[in-house]
Amino acid sequence: MKYAWRILAFDVAPPLAAIAALVYIGITLAWPLWWVSACSVLSLLIVEAVVVNVVLARRDSVTVGTDDDAPGPRLVVAAVATTALAAAVVVGYLNWSVPDRDLRDDTAEVVGIATSISEDSATFTPRSPTVSIDRATAMMSPQSAEAFKKEFASVAKDLAARNISAQASTVSAGVEAIGPTAASVAVILRGTQNSPGKPPDTAVLALRVQLSKQDGRWLVDDVSPIHSR
Amino acid sequence: MADMQQEIRPSEQRRSIDAMISGPLKPPGTLTRMPDDEPKPDFSDDGPAITGYGIGSAVLGVIAIAAIALAALMWTQHHDDADELRYRARAMQAAADWTSVLINMNKDTVDSSLVKLHDGTVGQLNADFDAALRPYRDLVQKLQSRTEGQVDSVAVEFVHHQQPGADGRPPSQPELSVFATRTDTVVVVATSVSENAGSGKPQTVRWTLRLEVADIGGKLMIAGLESVR
Repeated sequence: MKYAWRILAFDVAPPLAAIAALVYIGITLAWPLWWVSACSVLSLLIVEAVVVNVVLARRDSVTVGTDDDAPGPRLVVAAVATTALAAAVVVGYLNWSVPDRDLRDDTAEVVGIATSISEDSATFTPRSPTVSIDRATAMMSPQSAEAFKKEFASVAKDLAARNISAQASTVSAGVEAIGPTAASVAVILRGTQNSPGKPPDTAVLALRVQLSKQDGRWLVDDVSPIHSR
Repeated sequence: MADMQQEIRPSEQRRSIDAMISGPLKPPGTLTRMPDDEPKPDFSDDGPAITGYGIGSAVLGVIAIAAIALAALMWTQHHDDADELRYRARAMQAAADWTSVLINMNKDTVDSSLVKLHDGTVGQLNADFDAALRPYRDLVQKLQSRTEGQVDSVAVEFVHHQQPGADGRPPSQPELSVFATRTDTVVVVATSVSENAGSGKPQTVRWTLRLEVADIGGKLMIAGLESVR
């Protein structure tokens, strides 16, 4: 049939594509109630239009796709279907691609911050006692930085008095849990303490670094030992 | 095409001009003949005339096909990402379950625990299981201990720094890659408290383990065990 491809391209494909796009949007949005109702109404309109088209085709033996005298409706049908598909792409991009990419980027960023703050918090040089603490607090949220400084001030004084130096290097780090605005990272460090007149003391430290995203920046809220005892 | 039919065709124009020129010379009856009464030539036989509507529909069609391709791409990427996250969660769960058996070994349950642990291993660790776990077994039996352990943290390893001077554990198991679709390293931090039959003082053991979790035909098995010291 000469008009077969036009029936396919204008009478069959567009309504199917439009309904598929509506369902796709629903899946990307995880079917919120308002979309369930909007999708039902819009799908019903599309089905109605298809029914009208079929009925008129039986009466006049001409459809929207095959009517040579009416090219306007064909353009409208194509425009509606294309709009629905484009909307599906935009909604899919915003709800799937962007969050997935953010999660990947955040994972790498959060682990980087956690390893460096863990190493800094386990590093101490008596000659410049505040350097590593300052470096660590620069990555923290203001209120945590205050608490951290207070906590370490006495420890730092004690270590400086005994002329103990400490270094730490990351053995392993991984994300325990991560969401769009909060993350928890486990960092395993090997720390070495050098005190004058004693052999260096090596220990494995396991630290949990908790972070939250504030104004698009990951800040450390807490650094604590993981071992429950 | 409808608008084309509204146009005055050259032949009709000529005739009406002729009619105007020769009007007064001819009998008035000829003027009553309207152009609409003429049989319409079938314009669709002229071959496909491309109109603005046609171009518009074609452009929309191309956009729609591109949108379908993009939507399909986003769909697969998102599902791959979601599968990856689900897999990591499963790997963490498998590692936690296995470790929890290891750190809860009691003198009464040591044999059944070891069988359970052995069943969960594969590859090099499975082959060398007795050698690898003998220290733990001997310890439990010698101390006659009652142990209660708890897993404090589980994370899929994201960064790993081989320690300088460490006697590099063979990381690759060529025979394993035949069966395993993938292998991930999971970091498990756990604490166990042993109450020994002899001394009354409970003993705390801090575990920092790196487990190789291998996917063997959909089943997650432990392929490597390293205690970070």
